[in-house]
Amino acid sequence: MIKYNQFQLANGLHIIHHFDDSTQLCVLNMLYNVGSKYENPNKTGFAHLFEHLMFGGSVNIEEFDTVLQDASGESNAFTSNDITNYYLTLPANNIETGFWLESDRMLSLDFSQESLDIQRNVVIEEFKERYLNQPYGDVWLKILPLAYKVHPYNWPTIGKEISHIENATLDDVKTFFKNFYCPNNAVLVLAGNLDLDTCKTLVNKWFAPIPSQNFVKPSYSQEPKQNEARTETVYADVPLDMIVKAYHMPARTDEKYFAADMLTDILGAGKSSRFYIDLVKNKNLFSELDAYISGDVEAGLLMIEGKLSKGVSMETAENAILNTLEDFKTNGVGTNELTKIKNKSETNIRFNDMTVLNKAMKLAYAWVLGNIELVNTEANSYLKVTEADIINIAHQILIPTNCSTLYYLSKKNDTK
Amino acid sequence: MTLNRKSSPNVVEIKSINIKEAQENILTNGIKLYTINASNEEVIKIDLVFDAGINVQDFKSQANFTCKMLSEGTSKYSAAELAEKLDFYGAYFQTKNTSEEAIITLYCLNKHLTNCLPFIVEILNDSIFPENDLEILKKNAIQNLKVNEERNSYLVRRAFNQAIFGENTLYGSYSNISDIESIQKEQLVDFYKNHFQKGLKYILASGYVDNETIKIINTYIGSNTFKVYDNIAKKYMAKRTEPADLYIDKTNSVQSAIRIGRRLFNRNHPDFREMQLLNLILGGYFGSRLMKNIREEKGLTYGIYSAIEAYPFDACWYIDTEMNNELSETGIKEIFKELARLRNELIGEKELKTAKNYLLGSFLRSIDGPFSLADRFKILKDFDLEYKYFYEFIEIIKNTTAERLKELANLYLKEEDLTRVIVGTK
Repeated sequence: MIKYNQFQLANGLHIIHHFDDSTQLCVLNMLYNVGSKYENPNKTGFAHLFEHLMFGGSVNIEEFDTVLQDASGESNAFTSNDITNYYLTLPANNIETGFWLESDRMLSLDFSQESLDIQRNVVIEEFKERYLNQPYGDVWLKILPLAYKVHPYNWPTIGKEISHIENATLDDVKTFFKNFYCPNNAVLVLAGNLDLDTCKTLVNKWFAPIPSQNFVKPSYSQEPKQNEARTETVYADVPLDMIVKAYHMPARTDEKYFAADMLTDILGAGKSSRFYIDLVKNKNLFSELDAYISGDVEAGLLMIEGKLSKGVSMETAENAILNTLEDFKTNGVGTNELTKIKNKSETNIRFNDMTVLNKAMKLAYAWVLGNIELVNTEANSYLKVTEADIINIAHQILIPTNCSTLYYLSKKNDTK
Repeated sequence: MTLNRKSSPNVVEIKSINIKEAQENILTNGIKLYTINASNEEVIKIDLVFDAGINVQDFKSQANFTCKMLSEGTSKYSAAELAEKLDFYGAYFQTKNTSEEAIITLYCLNKHLTNCLPFIVEILNDSIFPENDLEILKKNAIQNLKVNEERNSYLVRRAFNQAIFGENTLYGSYSNISDIESIQKEQLVDFYKNHFQKGLKYILASGYVDNETIKIINTYIGSNTFKVYDNIAKKYMAKRTEPADLYIDKTNSVQSAIRIGRRLFNRNHPDFREMQLLNLILGGYFGSRLMKNIREEKGLTYGIYSAIEAYPFDACWYIDTEMNNELSETGIKEIFKELARLRNELIGEKELKTAKNYLLGSFLRSIDGPFSLADRFKILKDFDLEYKYFYEFIEIIKNTTAERLKELANLYLKEEDLTRVIVGTK
């Protein structure tokens, strides 16, 4: 049970406070309700590039990191399809420095061409390090445009291609900031050893003077129902063939989301999962085979991906996956299997809630989903799922016409 | 009153630190159980520590595969059944082996502890290492190794450790495909008998660990079935190596992986904690000189860092990065320039103060919560140290001067002592 208070400033900034005196730390988590899905399809990767620029100094503070480090704090951030999230961890008695830093960069950034030029290069190196220079690193660059034809989830957060990052201009940066980085598009969470009264005083002092902005979020098209099986084959310098199957699934706010999540647990989580026991161990068709969900706010993807054992044909491997899915749809879930998955969810949630940083992020994300209380009802949403719910969702989404398949083949003729 | 956004709010320096220390309990059979009871959630992590590291193996991969195979079946349960039972209670079971130890870890909710521990007991008493499961594990391990060998970051680490520690030494030894292929069931059974079944070094439980929990652990692991075993007569022969300059060609790389460094001393050396501060300033945090120069001023990389890796019998220090291929020579020049600056110039007062404040904050974060506290305690055990080591850390860091850091840089960061490994496309 995560206890919290919430309030809102006149400028629209929403604040969530969670008190925990078992720690000497305090986390300040600022979530802006903007992710890569709001990008122009010809200028992708921008939300993430912008995240880098947020550490390059603000209107009154030249060096963000030095100030934070002087106060014994540290910070980081991440960008997803849906959101951009910034978090600072400080000794609780230095938390006001966090307020100063975070409010100043909401007020205005220190826009400079030089800073943009450098961070463009840094992000291009990040693109190479994580997506191009790793075996199988470009899987998401390939599978997303296959699964999404119109919805902006069809490119990864890093961007479609390096040229989009190269072409970003300072004007783009300024427009993006004005559009999305304002109090009425954000939620601020304070979690840790900071009492509510002090929290309110500091929030008012540092954030109340920041004006709200009129902004319009760009509209984008919803993905129509997929009605045909889609496939793509690529060849790469990798030692093993890989198969990736992506099925459209319900949004995070849909009750069926939980059944889909549990479905992937039954199929692919851990050494007692169906994929592991049957296809990795008993038949040894795969050296690894996983199932998981992308976890997006809107309708996301249920993913199945595996690396084939040497000598196994793609056709054999794919049929084996499909047989396991059909078997599941026909014969259903065992009672023990359902209890097992529920127990596993409970463990995951309880272990996750051990740190103030995790709790802070969870509270902020629940606000994006439209209901902060989700942080406490989530466990029950998993417990409520029935065998029938899981079978139904399997019948609904695990069908060929809802699936995009990537055959990722090894160029090497190594027979061992 | 108008808000002054120009100057920083008052900042309080970290003066002293309270660490919740581990309590020592002795089980009925004499095994020590260290506990860190520091959780409001009723969750627990239990580490069972064995003297079954790579340092006591007779064949390459023997310790590793014995560890991996512990959950692959007992005479009562198959691998699938064991996994099913532990998963049923929502538990996570992990085994890991280091150069000096094997550690079996159970994560679960306290309410399921009495259901989970019998399976751990079963695994420790009666693992049978089925041949068929071993063959599959070997095959998958070989395939994983092949994938890893496509990663520049893996290749650079391996080549570096082999170069500075020596190829067939404890810290420079890597299994190749034929080492994995030649592992036999009998070797695992032997290792299990000689290193797991002789007994445990100790147990470390963190999370929600009240007296009731201690009693439960004692019921299952405190019986006469288990003994204390810690073979203290360990040998480690450090091999002399010369600094090397290695280049591994990896066609079609768009980045080069670079590691530059040397062998160093570990936590038992009096200069270690001051070296941590020097390392931090060079490449140990976001505000470090390497990050500022090579990422934030030149944009040559997504990340560059330096680190000290300390092991119970040895240690190394290195700078690591993956960098733009065409500009990697420029980057390397800048790295050496930064090292020379540390040797030739005093670190400015302001920079030193920022680094000290950050390091102390980072220490505060590293003792937050039961699992972090358990990690800190594990360090003390690994290096045979007392909590005093951490309390002194605060004082040592506060008192380290710029002159002293320059002296350390001249002692330990000399260019001629450094090994350099590059993996990429020329």
